[in-house]
Amino acid sequence: MKKILIYIFLSLAAITFLYPFYWMIVASLAPESEIGGLWFLPTKLTFASYIQMLSKIPIGRSLLNSIFVASLTTLGVIIFSSMVGYALALMKFKGRNVIFYIIIFTMTLPFQITLIPNYITMVKLNLVDTYAALVLPFLLNAFAILLFRQAFLGMPKALIDAARVDGCSDFRILFQVLFPNIIPTIVIVGILTFMGSWNEVLWPLIVIRDESLMTMPQMVTLFSVGGRAESQLGVKLASAVLLALPIMIAYAFFQKYFIQSMASSGLKE
Amino acid sequence: MAEVRLVNIGKTFEEGMQVVKNLNLTIQDKEFVVLVGPSGCGKTTILRMIAGLEDITTGELYIDQKKVNELDPSKRQIAMVFQNYALYPHMTAYQNMAFGLKIKKVPKAQIHEQVMRAAEILNIQDILQKKPGKMSGGQRQRIAIGRAIVRRPKVFLFDEPLSNLDAKLRGQMRIELAKLHKKLDATVVYVTHDQVEAMTLGDRVVVLNEGEIAQNASPMELYSNPGSKFVAEFIGSPKMNFIEGKILLLDGQLVFRNNELQFDLSSLNYQNLKNHIGQEVELGIRSEDIYPTASNLKNYVKVKGQIIAIELLGNEKLIYAELEESSLIAKVKAQHEAQIRSSIDFYLDLEKAYFFSKENGQRI
Ligand SMILES: Nc1ncnc2c1ncn2[C@@H]1O[C@H](COP(=O)(O)OP(=O)(O)OP(=O)(O)O)[C@@H](O)[C@H]1O
Ligand SMILES: [Mg+2]
Repeated sequence: MKKILIYIFLSLAAITFLYPFYWMIVASLAPESEIGGLWFLPTKLTFASYIQMLSKIPIGRSLLNSIFVASLTTLGVIIFSSMVGYALALMKFKGRNVIFYIIIFTMTLPFQITLIPNYITMVKLNLVDTYAALVLPFLLNAFAILLFRQAFLGMPKALIDAARVDGCSDFRILFQVLFPNIIPTIVIVGILTFMGSWNEVLWPLIVIRDESLMTMPQMVTLFSVGGRAESQLGVKLASAVLLALPIMIAYAFFQKYFIQSMASSGLKE
Repeated sequence: MAEVRLVNIGKTFEEGMQVVKNLNLTIQDKEFVVLVGPSGCGKTTILRMIAGLEDITTGELYIDQKKVNELDPSKRQIAMVFQNYALYPHMTAYQNMAFGLKIKKVPKAQIHEQVMRAAEILNIQDILQKKPGKMSGGQRQRIAIGRAIVRRPKVFLFDEPLSNLDAKLRGQMRIELAKLHKKLDATVVYVTHDQVEAMTLGDRVVVLNEGEIAQNASPMELYSNPGSKFVAEFIGSPKMNFIEGKILLLDGQLVFRNNELQFDLSSLNYQNLKNHIGQEVELGIRSEDIYPTASNLKNYVKVKGQIIAIELLGNEKLIYAELEESSLIAKVKAQHEAQIRSSIDFYLDLEKAYFFSKENGQRI
């Protein structure tokens, strides 16, 4: 009995979460005139809003930009943050803990505080209006470093010793011995970084003016706020769906690892 | 093949803890040397220094007459087998064994040949395609040993390789390791805290205590001629029995005395005891040198005890008895009648007794 109540409660909670999402997708496929009163299903499904969107903004180009920027950032974060995490977890050097605490401390700084200094850096480096401006500032990330460090600390020490006896360099230990055993962590870092990069709006708005370099969220924001959608709700919704789609696909694909890495790494000492 | 020589080797960790002190040890070519000692005495640390996985704080390490203090582990011509196997979880048994050679850029055909030869020696041909996660402890241990063999090292280093196995498998692997040593004809340094393992496997056993060598001798020598109470207590099962007392000179006679017993020492061949008159000592005697009857003994002393437990071993049994101030474990024939809580007379064979200084534990 108690169980049933819990399930009902959880289902209600799930519906309140999912319904807006569902509505967004359905509404983007509904004829413009029906959106205002839409509750569950429109009388007919149409791609009119999508077609209209494509004709109004260079969404295709921005989609490619977004994929490019997010992928590059993700790849960079996985490589560089894991290297830092490796050093912090497994190498002995003076000041290791101090560096670690400083890195942790940066996690408490809100993005807004570093926004201006970062922008000035980009200007000084002449990187405004380049892809580099979108990727470079995000290549190292404290949270990813922390996750990698923890994953490496959890590996049996003898595994690394064995690799050393076998003649592995630090790079080989990291990428050939440790990486295959921390896939859940890599996937988590990958998804979080990809999502973070994909959803970033404020930073691209600041450093990118050139329309051909704009990312999709930036484009969509400019589009729906900037009046080019001509206050047509359907078109705005269509772009929002397009924005959410890659993340959803990625999540569905990697969901298994998501759950797994929450549970445990599957390795025992 | 190669000799390993440790000259004044010391290890101090960052926190200032000195774990290994001024160690001098030469392991001869093709010798099987076992480092044994209680937990925390520095066995693993010594082995890791030989392997190059731990920096040497002071002293010099030579492998095959070459100083290797600064040499990379992979260049020292050693192979190490770890307590928890340390196999690469994402690789099959075959890949685990081949990995080191692959890094060395050994040609594929030769790698295959070497791996297959090792697999044959260890009888693991049928699990080569399995990953470690799907193997039993014994199989993992074999693969780990295989990984070492494939490297064709000059020196094998083993760190408690059998301690994760159950008792039966441990006994079996112990024998296999002894055979393997014969077959490979290699220098072996083997670490364990199990004295039975040390005694069965070692050509020579080095007993360590708090980072120092307590004694370095053949297994038989350690057992029959321990240099200190520490070694006497550590080697042998059940443990050697100890009875505290004093050496005294009474009416021109050398005697051992405590509150419950006194006996004459002059007829014994312990010349050194004369130099310890008036000092506190401990008499040590092994369980098998304690008898329930005096039948064939020439020099003995009788003690009275209360039986508190009996452990049947098969054709022998261990009798745990309490004396007034100490306790004894005697190993007697299983047929010998004994009742718990009854009193018993023991006859200690004094010709087999050892004396240790109470002050520093050294043999007298
Ligand atoms: N990396 C380290 N940093 C500081 N102290 C250490 C380190 N490694 C080992 N020690 C200390 O050195 C001492 C000896 O350790 P070691 O591992 O060599 O002992 P052991 O004889 O192998 O013991 P066991 O039988 O438990 O394996 C211990 O007191 C241990 O706490
Ligand atoms: Mg150890």
